[in-house]
Amino acid sequence: MRVLLVEDDPLLGDGVRAGLKLADYAVDWVRDGEAGRLALLAQAYDACVLDLGLPRRDGLSLLKDLRSRGNATPVLILTARDTSADKVSGLDAGADDYLVKPFDLAELQARLRALIRRASGTSTPTLSHAGVVLDPATKQVSLNGQTITLSAREFTLLHDLLSHKNRIRARSELEKSLYAWGEEVESNTVEVYIHHLRKKFGAEFIHTVRGLGYRVGETG
Amino acid sequence: MIRLHSLRARLLLTVSIATLLAWGAAGVASYDKALHEADELMDGQLAQSAKLLMAQVLHETNELEAKGLSAAHPIEITENLDYDASHPYEQHLEFRVMNRNGLLLLRSAQAPEMAPPTPDSEIATYRDIKHAGQPWRQLSLRSSDGHYLVQIAHPTQERERVGMEVATQVALPILLALPILVLLVYFSVRGSLKPLEELAADVAARSPDNLEVLSEPQTLREAQPLVAALNRLFSRLAATLDNERRFTADAAHELRTPLAAVKVQAQVALASTDPTDHQHALRQVLAGADRATRLVEQLLRLARLDPLARLPQTHSLDLATSAASVVADMQAQAATKQQQLNFTPPATPIPIQGDADLLAVALRNLIENALRYTPAGGVIEVRADLVSQRPLLVVRDSGPGVNPEEAPRLLERFYRGQAAANAEGSHGSGLGLAIVERIAELHGAQLEIENRARGGLEVRLRWR
Repeated sequence: MRVLLVEDDPLLGDGVRAGLKLADYAVDWVRDGEAGRLALLAQAYDACVLDLGLPRRDGLSLLKDLRSRGNATPVLILTARDTSADKVSGLDAGADDYLVKPFDLAELQARLRALIRRASGTSTPTLSHAGVVLDPATKQVSLNGQTITLSAREFTLLHDLLSHKNRIRARSELEKSLYAWGEEVESNTVEVYIHHLRKKFGAEFIHTVRGLGYRVGETG
Repeated sequence: MIRLHSLRARLLLTVSIATLLAWGAAGVASYDKALHEADELMDGQLAQSAKLLMAQVLHETNELEAKGLSAAHPIEITENLDYDASHPYEQHLEFRVMNRNGLLLLRSAQAPEMAPPTPDSEIATYRDIKHAGQPWRQLSLRSSDGHYLVQIAHPTQERERVGMEVATQVALPILLALPILVLLVYFSVRGSLKPLEELAADVAARSPDNLEVLSEPQTLREAQPLVAALNRLFSRLAATLDNERRFTADAAHELRTPLAAVKVQAQVALASTDPTDHQHALRQVLAGADRATRLVEQLLRLARLDPLARLPQTHSLDLATSAASVVADMQAQAATKQQQLNFTPPATPIPIQGDADLLAVALRNLIENALRYTPAGGVIEVRADLVSQRPLLVVRDSGPGVNPEEAPRLLERFYRGQAAANAEGSHGSGLGLAIVERIAELHGAQLEIENRARGGLEVRLRWR
């Protein structure tokens, strides 16, 4: 899962990035509104954590711009203002959720999970297919009731595929989900982890769509 | 002297005293006039009586001459003339009649000794005399042939009684009207002051939350300048309160960000298993605490500086020495960031009046800003100088300068320039320049910020 963090405060941005990394998100961190706008133009994110008070372009303006272009990326806003008027203006501008500073890291992680889950069209907290159940909150995966141990990368890849059930995921999309900017992408990583997952869940669990990518479930 | 602070009491007293004075003056004037008129009237009466007596004397000349001259004694009228039916204004009269030789022909029983008029005096001569310890008025009347002299007198206290009576008649109505007048003044003043009382109630209803303008009292024009002044005060007060509230709210929000950072970093530290990440997060917690502390310090500093109209105490000090010591203190900080911090001392000391601690705070803020926004390897120059006899303190850096469109907002509290977002590491409070400006103001200096032609920023404190 790849998340864009737009935060101008160096300390808070560093903390949120580290906290989201702990939850196995690939995090891209930009420090002003304009850079955030460009990042969202250039790349599809599973979610965006957006501070409202930003230099160059404030958060609300960035959000309105994003929505006016029909981009539905789930956005969670961070705000120092806690009056309902501030919350309302944020939600009206197209935010999906908000957190008032200072906030709890666990709450930020949970809200992001819920946003991503809702965006993928499911309302249950767990993702499942063909006897495989993935719980994003506990990071537990089971096959027919039996707990399966996965590495962080394997989990992220499975999470991505299950979140886009019945849809084809290109290799490049899966790579972006695994790596943030600046992280070195090893070649064949996706193939290696797909291979691991097939060993654990059966070869039929992940379909290879030639020339396009991979898919869990039937053609949409 | 007793000061009367009540308008009502003052008006009542003034009107009463004025009325009493008018009454007294009218009384005195009437008394005077009445006395004069009574004088005239009674002189007239004396003349009348004297002429009557003279007529009688001339008519009975022979008998008088015979009796008076033969007896060599004047005829004395001894009958009691004090009837019960006497009129209050009837005059008590005494008289004497003499012939040319000064021989007394006729006299009343208690006729006073009356000095004869000098021979060459006029026919009728009035004179004030004393008789039995009382003031009397006397008229000497000569017959036209000069043969007889009639002298007639009456006491004058009667005339004073008349004067008093007239004066009282004139002044009494005024005296009677006084209580009515006082009552009228009382009610009129009370009525006129009613809008003022309503205004007082209106003002009393105002609070910091309700500083609406007062409606102008239509009935009391004199109160309108007061209302206008109050309304101006209210609007200034509302603006000040608004600023304070906004500043407090902004300050609270500003504190939330470092607190959020501290909390998130602490949670990251608790959750990370990687020792490097763990250490990093803990150091960030400390950095966050430091930043919150610095923000609180700056807020407190500004809160203490804001209400000052002028410096509580100033000392004579040398601007050059103060600047040199601040620059020396900050060398270590500059070295950590691999920056060069230079100070150019002036040729002569720069004597100023001021607060050394505050000046050091201002200069430290300026140098900190320069260190923060100038990339490693940069040069920061501090210069103290006298330019046309006016002290000048300059801090220039080799950083990126400021965006021209940002320049007007730099002094805004909590505003951080674009450079602040790009600066690595420490994050300013957004109050530094506001504090410098305030300190400059208190020292009678002006804060000037300008991009340098060859790059970098130049900040000047120019004494006026």
